[in-house]
Amino acid sequence: MAETASKRILVIDDASLVRRYYRDALERAGFEVDEALNGVEALEKLLAEPADLLIVDVNMPQMDGITFLRSLRRQAPPIASIPALVISTEAGPHDRRAARTAGANFYLVKPVAQDTLVQHVSIMCGLSA
Amino acid sequence: MNEVDPVSQEELRAICEFLYRRTGMLFGEAKRYYVQRRISDRMNALGIAPFRTYFAYLRSDADGEVEKFVNAFTVNETYFYREDHQLRCLSSDLLAERVRAKRRGEALRIWSVPCATGEEPYSIAIWLLENWPEVDVQDIEIIGSDIDTQCTAAAAEGEYGARALMRLSPQLVEKYFVPAGKDRWRVVPELRQSVQFSSANITKASETRQHGLFDVIFCRNVLIYFDDASRRVAAENLFEALAPGGFICLGHTESMSRISPLFEVRRFPDAIVYQRPLIGGNGAGGKGGHSNG
Amino acid sequence: MPLVRKPSSQAPAAAPLALGEGTSEQRWSAVRAAADRPDGLALLADALSRESDPRVREAIFTGLARLATPESAALVVPYLRSDDANLRTGAVDALRAMPQACRPHLPTLLADGDADVRLLSCELARGLPDEEANRLLCDLLERETERNVCAAAIEVLAEIGRPEAVPSLVRCGTRFAGDPFMIFSLKVATERIAAPARDRR
Ligand SMILES: C[S@@+](CC[C@H](N)C(=O)[O-])C[C@H]1O[C@@H](n2cnc3c(N)ncnc32)[C@H](O)[C@@H]1O
Repeated sequence: MAETASKRILVIDDASLVRRYYRDALERAGFEVDEALNGVEALEKLLAEPADLLIVDVNMPQMDGITFLRSLRRQAPPIASIPALVISTEAGPHDRRAARTAGANFYLVKPVAQDTLVQHVSIMCGLSA
Repeated sequence: MNEVDPVSQEELRAICEFLYRRTGMLFGEAKRYYVQRRISDRMNALGIAPFRTYFAYLRSDADGEVEKFVNAFTVNETYFYREDHQLRCLSSDLLAERVRAKRRGEALRIWSVPCATGEEPYSIAIWLLENWPEVDVQDIEIIGSDIDTQCTAAAAEGEYGARALMRLSPQLVEKYFVPAGKDRWRVVPELRQSVQFSSANITKASETRQHGLFDVIFCRNVLIYFDDASRRVAAENLFEALAPGGFICLGHTESMSRISPLFEVRRFPDAIVYQRPLIGGNGAGGKGGHSNG
Repeated sequence: MPLVRKPSSQAPAAAPLALGEGTSEQRWSAVRAAADRPDGLALLADALSRESDPRVREAIFTGLARLATPESAALVVPYLRSDDANLRTGAVDALRAMPQACRPHLPTLLADGDADVRLLSCELARGLPDEEANRLLCDLLERETERNVCAAAIEVLAEIGRPEAVPSLVRCGTRFAGDPFMIFSLKVATERIAAPARDRR
């Protein structure tokens, strides 16, 4: 708990119930959670306040997850290197490759159980799971 | 007072999600009480119950209800030096970048739209006179426009009460205003002449185009009230009204993220602003799926 | 005062050219002007079928959203089926901006053979009058087999759902009993709908 509390996770997904589901799990594990419903908003929020980890959906209005990741990796240093966990409905190898190329650090396919999520997030934040 | 809780926690969450999607304002648990109070106020004012009915009314935006609701969370009163961090950003970063992009002697053009009763464009003028070292060597044009011609007429008169001036120091009031009766002040003639006023509907390209190209546009606290279609049109009109590389500042509760992928987001020490991309103007960064990566 | 007084008015944008021709700047101006013309719908339809520049395409979508007729919506609908994800999102954003115009298309869209189209259309149902949206989404939930489409319908019902939607939500839950996210969403949606607000004055 003590170490997770200092970690800020930005959840980027256009579906409010998905954000709620992640938030619910992550907050119970002690993380601090913020939300964005598309890539543009995520960039705005990160420019105002960086995060320790991003959870990124792929299909979103205005700016999709892949375009967001590309744009993220072109930002100035602290923001460009924030690790990103993509959680998508798409399970194909092509989709994984696209996400990886754009700058995703890890890829999960929905549905993801809440404890699985917390586990991955903890590891990616450098905490022991 | 014997307030009865009219809304369940889940209903409250639903309305917060609606507001977030529609406006970008995210109300965390801490603000929920405030939202709840506001809902009761609106339901009482309208005589609408139960909550479900009010929520449907809000979603249909009947009689401008979204604006009325949102107003409770934004300061819908305009005053001098409102959101002055953007003014600081203007004088410390934005103008310098625009000056570098221009030919010598070309005027810098700043548009305050909507300008309401003029507090915003006059603030820009005062701020620059006070804070921008280059103000004496650059030509600067400041234009204030609003759809409401009564507002722009009042703006040209430039007479204000104490509330509008509350953020200005006595020295600034002394320097840029003359007393005009009890608790009234009028902008000095030189300052009035340095700001032009006009009428413009930002959803009408024919009206925005007449104003030419700008280096910086302040478009604060109006897009939040528009529906999706009007926002898109307004964003395109403002995009056209910006010189490539020009900047647009929105109100602090507003975000382009609900509106348009045309602009790029830029972060400066004092503010986050949007920029018309320099080349190609192909701001549709979010769409089109070109593969550059 | 150093601030200059007279605005140096600049030349307005060039008059519209033929659509589909010229630089992307010129095509952008042309499609922007099209929505104001009596033959705008046909012009935009033609431009949309040929345009490849994403920014110009956005402007075409905006023009069609401004017209906001069932006919202009009908022109956007086929792009929900596009292979290009960005074009699909662009089409949904445009349709979302003309909720009334989408109304006649929704029953067909929600029954489309393509699951992606059904999924995107759920979001459009949000713009319909509550009763109609509830009916359409519940009908969909009763027959829908794709998890992601159901999830999209539940997302919308969590906001606009009425008590008569609860049985469909419950039945849907029995089909996804092993899926933690679906269980979570259905719980939130039904709680919201059923949440008996405490007594009012
Ligand atoms: C809340 S005030 C904002 C004033 C100022 N920008 C500020 O932030 O303090 C909103 C203004 O928008 C104007 N307005 C509303 N719709 C408009 C439109 N389509 N075009 C231009 N102005 C508009 C109103 O007349 C009103 O003066």
